[in-house]
Amino acid sequence: MSIIEKLNSVKDTVPHYWPIGSFIHHNPLKGFEDLHFKDGLAKAKSIFGGKVYMDSSYYMNLYKEGKIHDSVLESNIKKVLSEKGFDIPWEFAKKFLMEVSPKWSGLRIQLLSKKEKIDNALYAYLENDSIYHDKQEWLDKLTRHMTLYEINDALFGGDDKESVEKNIVEFISRFLDEDQTTMRMPNRELGMFEAFQLFENFTYERDAESFVQESFKKLHVKDAEAYLLTHLLKLHGWAGFIKYRSEDKDYIAQRQHPSTLIEYLAIRLYYELRAVKNQKLRNFDLFQEYANIHLDDVILKLLAHKHMLFGPALDALESNEETSVVLSNHISGELNLDALQIQHSSEVLQSALSLTELAEIIKRLREEEGYIWLKSLEDSYIHSYVDKIINVENKAEEHVTASATFCLDVRSEVIRRSIEKTGPYQTYGAGGFLGIPIAFVEFDKAHELFLSPAIVKPQNVVFEIPVESHDEYSSKTGMNKTTKKVLSDLKNNPYTPYIMVEAIGWIFGINLFGKTFLPQKTNKLLSKLKPYKPKTRYTLDKLSSNEIEFYVRKLHTKIIHSVLAYSSTQDYSDEEIESVRNHLLFENDLKVSIPDEIIEKLITAHKITPQDYEYQKKKLAMVGFTLEEKVAYLQKYLKMIGQVSDFPEFITIIGHGSLSDNNPFESALDCGACGGNVSLPNTRTLCMIANTKDVREKIKEQGIFIPESTKFIPGLHITTTDEIKFYDTDILTEGQMQKFSKVKDDFNNASIQSRLERCKSLPYTNTHKDIMIKSMDWSEIRPEWGLAKNMGVFAGPRNSTKHLVLNNRFFMHSYDWKIDNDNADILTAIFNGPLIVGEWINLEHYFSTVDNHIYGAGSKVYHNIVSKIGVFSGNYGDLKIGLPIQSVYLEGEPYHEPVRLLSFVEAPLEIVGKAVENSIAKPFILNEWIRPVIIDREAKKVYSYENGEFIVIKEIA
Amino acid sequence: MMIYVVLLFLAGGLPYYILLENNKYLNSKQIFLLSGFLLICAIFLSLSLPDDHPDLLVMISFASAIFSIYKATKTTSFYKLGYYLIFVNAPFFILFQDRGIMYSISLLVSLTGLYLIAKFYEKNYGSANYGNITGITLVTPCVGTYLAFYLIALALYPPFPNSLFFLSYIFKSQHDLLSYVVVTTLFFGNFFLAMGVMKKTLFGRANPNIHYVHMTTKEKIIHFIVLIVLIVLSFFGLKETL
Repeated sequence: MSIIEKLNSVKDTVPHYWPIGSFIHHNPLKGFEDLHFKDGLAKAKSIFGGKVYMDSSYYMNLYKEGKIHDSVLESNIKKVLSEKGFDIPWEFAKKFLMEVSPKWSGLRIQLLSKKEKIDNALYAYLENDSIYHDKQEWLDKLTRHMTLYEINDALFGGDDKESVEKNIVEFISRFLDEDQTTMRMPNRELGMFEAFQLFENFTYERDAESFVQESFKKLHVKDAEAYLLTHLLKLHGWAGFIKYRSEDKDYIAQRQHPSTLIEYLAIRLYYELRAVKNQKLRNFDLFQEYANIHLDDVILKLLAHKHMLFGPALDALESNEETSVVLSNHISGELNLDALQIQHSSEVLQSALSLTELAEIIKRLREEEGYIWLKSLEDSYIHSYVDKIINVENKAEEHVTASATFCLDVRSEVIRRSIEKTGPYQTYGAGGFLGIPIAFVEFDKAHELFLSPAIVKPQNVVFEIPVESHDEYSSKTGMNKTTKKVLSDLKNNPYTPYIMVEAIGWIFGINLFGKTFLPQKTNKLLSKLKPYKPKTRYTLDKLSSNEIEFYVRKLHTKIIHSVLAYSSTQDYSDEEIESVRNHLLFENDLKVSIPDEIIEKLITAHKITPQDYEYQKKKLAMVGFTLEEKVAYLQKYLKMIGQVSDFPEFITIIGHGSLSDNNPFESALDCGACGGNVSLPNTRTLCMIANTKDVREKIKEQGIFIPESTKFIPGLHITTTDEIKFYDTDILTEGQMQKFSKVKDDFNNASIQSRLERCKSLPYTNTHKDIMIKSMDWSEIRPEWGLAKNMGVFAGPRNSTKHLVLNNRFFMHSYDWKIDNDNADILTAIFNGPLIVGEWINLEHYFSTVDNHIYGAGSKVYHNIVSKIGVFSGNYGDLKIGLPIQSVYLEGEPYHEPVRLLSFVEAPLEIVGKAVENSIAKPFILNEWIRPVIIDREAKKVYSYENGEFIVIKEIA
Repeated sequence: MMIYVVLLFLAGGLPYYILLENNKYLNSKQIFLLSGFLLICAIFLSLSLPDDHPDLLVMISFASAIFSIYKATKTTSFYKLGYYLIFVNAPFFILFQDRGIMYSISLLVSLTGLYLIAKFYEKNYGSANYGNITGITLVTPCVGTYLAFYLIALALYPPFPNSLFFLSYIFKSQHDLLSYVVVTTLFFGNFFLAMGVMKKTLFGRANPNIHYVHMTTKEKIIHFIVLIVLIVLSFFGLKETL
């Protein structure tokens, strides 16, 4: 097995990390989804450490609040006892979970000073069951996932880890920089390992893989796979980002500055070799020899290094007591406390079991308790929501004035309910990208945004172009750019900052004090300086091959012209430029004299090559849609939400985005189904397509008749403020505009109602005005709660949940199984997109809550943006994966309730079964990383998926 | 001269290094209490002494202080840190003349706080050793806040009285080379020792192997009283400095 193959077998342990600019919620344990949820979590715990369930005291509080039903808990305890073959009464296990376990760790503290007699048999059992009696195994366990420089640090008190990690972060953050720095690293186009050699001024003739192989030989690494994983885990945020880049061929920065995981590992190993070169233990064989001689000392120092050695042992070490005595005292102290915990538990439980039997039972119950509690919480919610859903009065709206489709995002729930309360409106939910994945190039921007779930690669490019004069916009944009550049130049010049602070520093004070004390007024003032985008339309039609050729030629000639103008004083005619292009692309003879270095620059720096020519043509061929594509996307969308007849006069499709200030995680609050971007372009695209005459005619042939008077109006829901803004209303007639004003008024009232409802859950927010201020307050750590407290998904007709208060906790996807075909294609599409996004969002919140240090991003307070791709704490460190603690905790207590996604689907069981079978989400569904619940009204049964089968949990009357 | 030797004996840590460092009868907690008591005796004794002091005395105590800084960097026990800090600050006590008494009282009050934190650790974590008790600011913010106050005071950071009496001495005294060297060295010594403790126990990730315990109401009140005493002393310090 080559090194690359070994790397491939372990690399999925670290999750992808997407750049923070388009934050993608993801399951940090995605690489474990081929295992059952419980087993995956156990494996992840053994690798990453930390917690995978909440503490039992947390669940106990939920039990006391009535959120975990007693009967459900009892049933789950019985199931586990039966599955695991525990021969104890369930009441005994329940008493342990409720009375002993929540106090388990605290009990150890209480017992510290107790001098009770220890049962000898129990002590012997615990000793035999522990790792302490096999010191070599103990040593192996302690050094698992430790690099050699860390071992040296632990044994001899150095700080190589700090310097190695600092050097690595310094290099990779500069190499991977995406225009944050003003002093860019040179030679990045050579690739990461080549650039690194120049950075560190050494040469290595072969590739990164060979370097890794040689390094392993020098370090005498026995298990290459395990050691590769060890290095990946050291900075797994950075490793995840490099993994993501290297696997996305369209990622522009990767195309410009290629990097791979093996190169990253070569860099790590270069620094490791340099760090251990002059150390006592230069390789693992030397370490093993040393450990064989000083085993007690090595174990003690490793324990101390990992903060596993407690106070009295640390005191003894400081007093230079003999290590074997200190270790022996430490072991006996630990075993004594373990024994006291069991003895004390025996008293509390009034157990008739022998202490050794009890110890065994407690050990196994403690392994199971997290899952028992979690499942009981989920099951309690499932029972409660099933009752609510099946009892909703199923009454369809008769005369609908307007329909509104929102993203299925949990934050749409309250606003949808509020809209339906204000008048004759019908709302729908769909994945924010509306099933129409696009690569969108915004007006005045150069790069495309992929507006689709991260797993879908758009095949259609849409450009935004102005339809009215934009002189004022261009002038303001130009002025702002010039001002920024002047300020940046002044700031980065070595001399000017001294004068600049004195002369214009006060200008920044206006912003500083204004935003702090008068955020609303300051925002109003500053908004006057912002350029307002002119009215735009999208390029929806395909380009002809002549047009494609024209645009590629135009791009190339422009580049060649500017390079020649910059590099030479000579003027070149259009024919000469054309000759250069033909030479570069078609290897024609060069009819003009151009220095070789300019030709080289055009090839390497500006990529005017035959390959790029083909690439550009391919990209331009992706612009717009064919008529068939337009019809197919519209039809798919309408069928997906079940809106195929009785169209109202106004069909609004409302995307969403978030507004906040000074928030690197802002895109985490945007649309997850649009790759962490605002989903307005998708809604505008679909509405423009739906309003096209030839599309309506074509779709009519397929049985969907949309009346001419029906207009599709795109809108944007600002989730922070619950405001709704409509676009492209100029397609409405005067009469329609008047009617639509009433719709807008009603939606505005719904926004106010929604804000008032959300006030109750946001801290320090009493009025809806407070909510508005949060979106512009630069010190606000929670402009909104975002997707926190998300709990479930409901896919089914709106009438089943209409007017049901779900407190922004459910992803709501409209679905009518009667419209679906026998192969369940629509439901499969819902599983393949929205459900996957929902699962990623849900599990990201789950793990960021259960262990924010390992799976989350820690506190926002210490974050600094690095390389414009993410944040780290302080001045160097790992890229923070997951969510900041402020997004899931409130005043030290979890705000988010970590449960798996409770996935309610209202459809016959056979349909759901087919969709699961056909879906790419099948592995995580069957491995129970979500909790499927099927409401089959035809069969009058509700099913839950557990242990590989659908079981009936309720009969519908 | 003899009386200065006694003073050095009481405040400079000599009894510890000569007799107690390797003894088996007194533990570090008792040595901390004894050192504090000896410093109080030294304060009373110094009341009867003229302001002038022999340079030799300052130099010996300075050497002892440097050694104590080295020893303090090697320990993660609050008790040991406490008495090392007394020895580190002995040259100030001698050098600051009449202000040295107030400085030493401030030092003693700050160390009382540190002693109470050490007792809290001992009670709840089995020892006053903070080597494995990391990240307390996040998990037990109240303990973290009080410890931060005491360490900031010991690091000679305003507005606590230690720093104010220190500043008062710098502003109002005549300085020679010896005092420059002593003041600069020991200022940084105090500062880095206190910051080192902050880095190790206040900040960072909480140790998942530890069950963290919160202060009881009684403990909070006692620490609050210590803090009030420090604030009162700060007023005197401010008055003295201005």
